[in-house]
Amino acid sequence: MSMLHASQATDAPVSMTSTSPTAPLMRWVMAATLPGIIAMTAWFGLGVLSNIVLAAAFGLLLESVVLRLRKRPVVPALNDSSALLTGVLLGASLPPASPWWLIGVGMVAAVVIAKQLYGGLGHNPFNPAMVGYALLLVSFPAYMTLWAPPQPLISDTLWAQIMGTLPATQIDALSGATPLDAFKQKADGLSAAQFWASDPLPAGTLNAWRMISLAWLAGGILLLAKRIISWHIPAALLGSMLILAALFHLLDADQFASPTLHLLTGATLFGAFFIATDPVSAATSRRGKLLYGAGIGILIVVIRNLGGYPDAVAFGVLLMNLCVPLIDLYTVPRPQGHYRGVP
Amino acid sequence: MALTFDYQGGIYPPERKSRSSQASLQYAPLPARVTLPLRQHSGRPATACVTPGQHVQVGTLIARRDGLISADVHASISGTVTQVSEHAIQIESDNLDTRQPLAPLDWRETDALTLLARLDESGVVGLGGAGFPTQVKARVIERHAIDTLIINAAECEPYITADDITLQRYPGEVLEGAQLMASLCGAGQIVIGIEDNKPEAIAALKQAITQSRPAPITLGVIPIRYPSGSEKLLIKTLLNRTVPSLGLPADVGVLCHNPGTLLAALQAVRDGQPLVQRVVTLTGEAISRPGNYWVRLGTPIDELLAYAGLERSRLDKVVQGGPMMGSTLETLSAPATKTTNCLIAATQSELPPAPPASPCIRCGACENVCPVQLLPQQLHWYARAQEDDKLERYHLFDCIECGACSYVCPSHIPLVDDYREAKSRLRHQRIEAAKADHAKHRFEFRQARLAREEAEKQARRHARQAQNRPGAASSTEATAAPQADLRSLRIAQTAAKAAVRKAEKVLAREAQQAPNESHEDLEMQLATARENLKAADLQLAQARQSASAPEESP
Repeated sequence: MSMLHASQATDAPVSMTSTSPTAPLMRWVMAATLPGIIAMTAWFGLGVLSNIVLAAAFGLLLESVVLRLRKRPVVPALNDSSALLTGVLLGASLPPASPWWLIGVGMVAAVVIAKQLYGGLGHNPFNPAMVGYALLLVSFPAYMTLWAPPQPLISDTLWAQIMGTLPATQIDALSGATPLDAFKQKADGLSAAQFWASDPLPAGTLNAWRMISLAWLAGGILLLAKRIISWHIPAALLGSMLILAALFHLLDADQFASPTLHLLTGATLFGAFFIATDPVSAATSRRGKLLYGAGIGILIVVIRNLGGYPDAVAFGVLLMNLCVPLIDLYTVPRPQGHYRGVP
Repeated sequence: MALTFDYQGGIYPPERKSRSSQASLQYAPLPARVTLPLRQHSGRPATACVTPGQHVQVGTLIARRDGLISADVHASISGTVTQVSEHAIQIESDNLDTRQPLAPLDWRETDALTLLARLDESGVVGLGGAGFPTQVKARVIERHAIDTLIINAAECEPYITADDITLQRYPGEVLEGAQLMASLCGAGQIVIGIEDNKPEAIAALKQAITQSRPAPITLGVIPIRYPSGSEKLLIKTLLNRTVPSLGLPADVGVLCHNPGTLLAALQAVRDGQPLVQRVVTLTGEAISRPGNYWVRLGTPIDELLAYAGLERSRLDKVVQGGPMMGSTLETLSAPATKTTNCLIAATQSELPPAPPASPCIRCGACENVCPVQLLPQQLHWYARAQEDDKLERYHLFDCIECGACSYVCPSHIPLVDDYREAKSRLRHQRIEAAKADHAKHRFEFRQARLAREEAEKQARRHARQAQNRPGAASSTEATAAPQADLRSLRIAQTAAKAAVRKAEKVLAREAQQAPNESHEDLEMQLATARENLKAADLQLAQARQSASAPEESP
């Protein structure tokens, strides 16, 4: 029955929680993606931006079509910017200059199937962007696993790539591998030292990935500082990932990548701050968030080291999304007045 | 007190207290007519005991308490009763304001039973908001050991300054009232919980504490935060004691009283003045003379607001109570009652309507501010889905309905409304489930009443017989009432007494936990126990008389 509300009580002298309506919340998250996106564009060219713009456009278009079909008000839902954000996040996950139809298929999976068919904003059990990404990864592995090496802002084949008219032979010629992928694919007998000594990646690749990861970290710190996300999920995710990766690395340094390679060259930091923290599909209590984040961190390392995929943020997040109802049920905080041991 | 203990959560809404706290306490003009509702307290409405046309004075009893959880109602002006309806009594003023006080008592010289009876017959109830009968609360010593009395002067809700002004004006009397209540419940110490945004009241209290006897008083100044004034949180903050879930402060040896209540209790005892007036905060942007006023109970709210300078063109709504937990008034002709602590005449821009709600994205802002560590986002989900077993699992009934979650929700979801609805639905289900029990209790009450009437009849017949044929009666009765029978009757009477005490205890507890709910079934069980006790008393008295008669004339 509260007749006062934080967003309207402008004469508040002190405000402990910097609260804001849903739409600004989403916009802050998008603002925080800027460092990462700029860094990616700087190293991988305008193909990164074309991904994001196309995905965001598909997001808005699909959201409004489905809302109309569901006979729900369109404008307020578009204004909350959630479809836009899904587009930005999926677009940033795809290999630069992905063909438009690939992005379209991914966004249909994300917005139509993962989000709207489950009831729209707030009702989706799975992270929409990651549903789109996982679907593309298993359906079109050729397009999804090959990243071009660092390149100038505008490459000669950019337009053809986006339009999907580039011949398959040329795609292979253009593409390289991510550092994690390359390490995973190294010849069996090769030791880690020998592998890195052999200069396995095009010049500047390793550096590019590191800088991009740090840029995502900067955005994540902005989200933490603005209290848009809490520290629980990123901290638990990164913590468990580093510990487990270190254990693997200690066991067999030649077969398993070092924790820093895990941390700085994959989608780990992007995932920890921008994907795993999606509140709708994450566990909700503080203790639940710690469990949820730790679970994702463990899955990332397990899948990367023992599974068939070089990166695993999407699968880690989706698998832990599955566990959220269970986690929530067993991490209900003890309210004031309830004593330990008494249900 | 230097040390205060922390609780998690809470919010810092705008205080908006300065408008009403700057003006001095004034008397609102005597109303020409008052409407006194029969229910201005928690529990059952009182039963009217006046008829239209009857002349009353200030303090004349006009409605009697019915059942345990209920309170007497007194005339707040002198004049003529014009209307007695099912819900309220109307009195037309004669403008003389003549008084009919009770005899003044010195509480230090008076025994506890007399003092409790005085609180009872003065209609004193908790003036903080819930209106729980003070005498029932004071009798807690029959059931619990109390060591600390807390004066709850936190007044953490925005706008309200009634306690602040009361403490500034009557610090000594409030403390005297606290000493009175502390002696009644056996508390050895008194602690004042007050937020640090009331420097004048704190200064006045510091002065008054030095002269207050006999219980030692500590002043607990706590930092502002909403909802620090919530009983259980205040106990945690001041004493670091945790009241168990669904329990009472008395379970950890504490009793909380509002400063206004303590003043009213003292006035009832010392001056013999029943509860006929209270301090009300009149504030809001739509009135030009905000402040605190002594208001006679039953004064129409529109008269009060008009006196405080209401500008109708600017008025958007009138809120009774604070903006966090209060409610919007449907009609301004309603009267001010014992539970009216604040009236906010708000403009549109002051308390704007909430924007339309958007879906919950489980951002967790509510979880961070919940002072009792619930998960409001999950409760919201399950309340909407009516998943009752989940609601219990997520501790819906621990919610204190403070509104902090609604305040911060970025999606503007009226969370507390959802919880209230779910709570009342669940309570209704429980009542439905216990319907058979209730029917049984009604039947038992009827049986008990008939048995009591039968016992009375017999007692009368016996008395008549004894009068008419003293010799013959005693000789025949003497054989019919052997010693063994007397003993079993005595045991029965003791058992009936225990049953009454138990029924009282259960009812007082339940009613204090949920002062706004109906406790009809428990009142019925208490009435049954009382009927049984009366019957047992009569039978025992009669048997004693018969047993003693032969000895007198052998």
